[in-house]
Amino acid sequence: MITGCNRGIGKVALEHFAAAGCHLIACARKETEEFSSYIGTITEKYKVSVLPLYFDFKNEEEIKTALYDVIKQKVPIDVLVNNAGVAVGGLLQMTSLQQMKDVFQVNFFSQVLITQIISKWMMRRKKGSIINMGSIAGLDNYAGYTAYGSSKAALMQFTKTIARELSPYNIRVNAIAPSLTATGMAEQMEEKAYDEMKNRSNLNRLAKPEEIVKTMLFLASDDSSFINGQIIRVDGGM
Amino acid sequence: MTNKEKYNEAFCNAFEINEDQLNGLKYQGIKLWDSVGHMTLVANLEDAYDIMLETDDIIDFSSYEKGMEILTAKYNVQF
Repeated sequence: MITGCNRGIGKVALEHFAAAGCHLIACARKETEEFSSYIGTITEKYKVSVLPLYFDFKNEEEIKTALYDVIKQKVPIDVLVNNAGVAVGGLLQMTSLQQMKDVFQVNFFSQVLITQIISKWMMRRKKGSIINMGSIAGLDNYAGYTAYGSSKAALMQFTKTIARELSPYNIRVNAIAPSLTATGMAEQMEEKAYDEMKNRSNLNRLAKPEEIVKTMLFLASDDSSFINGQIIRVDGGM
Repeated sequence: MTNKEKYNEAFCNAFEINEDQLNGLKYQGIKLWDSVGHMTLVANLEDAYDIMLETDDIIDFSSYEKGMEILTAKYNVQF
């Protein structure tokens, strides 16, 4: 199950996981012709099943209904990628409390709820790998990242805590902390902030979405069977 | 097996106790009914009745008796 599949890293993840032979549950906020068509292409090309699931991350009842529906169908879920997120930049004094709450709702609380439900399903099957999409913004110090950085920091701490709780059930939990990645989200940044992020990386460029996705695939697979509770930076060297 | 028998079996298996210890049993009332034991009980009940307990109900499930109330009221399990 991958959330936030209709654009950016999630969209690239869908294709790479399908290429690896995975049957997928592709979560997005709403159904669009473009997304449905993309799913059709993936299914056709890689001969895997892709079940689309639509819910608003700000609506807890929608999340529960959608996920319980999948579980009632006994769909086995071996991997959960909590990829969906929103980016809001702004200095502390220019970020309203409501904006912060909105960011936390999508980037943290909804991911917690999804993980509560899906991990319980994984617990019954006694296996699983959960990958949370953190960010270097939640690890390092960048001006203008109060809301986004703090929400990602929360998600990464959550990763470490639940790795401890879920290990007895053979469920590993890790997070990826990418630096700025070449997606639509990066294009929304202020030029100065964008340049600062890009230039901080030793490789002096943005990450490519597939570079993040390959780390996701590694963490999802048994190739990372003894990696647990870790925050993997994918930042070109910072 | 009746629903009551399944319920009792879930408890007895989770906490390694006998049926005569069930009435009045409360969360943290015995050593094995700690938070980890609680999740084992939840898993046993979910398997027994093919249900998924919501987090709020897991939190409210504070005793042998309370559990039956929750399962009846919200998960259509009749005892």
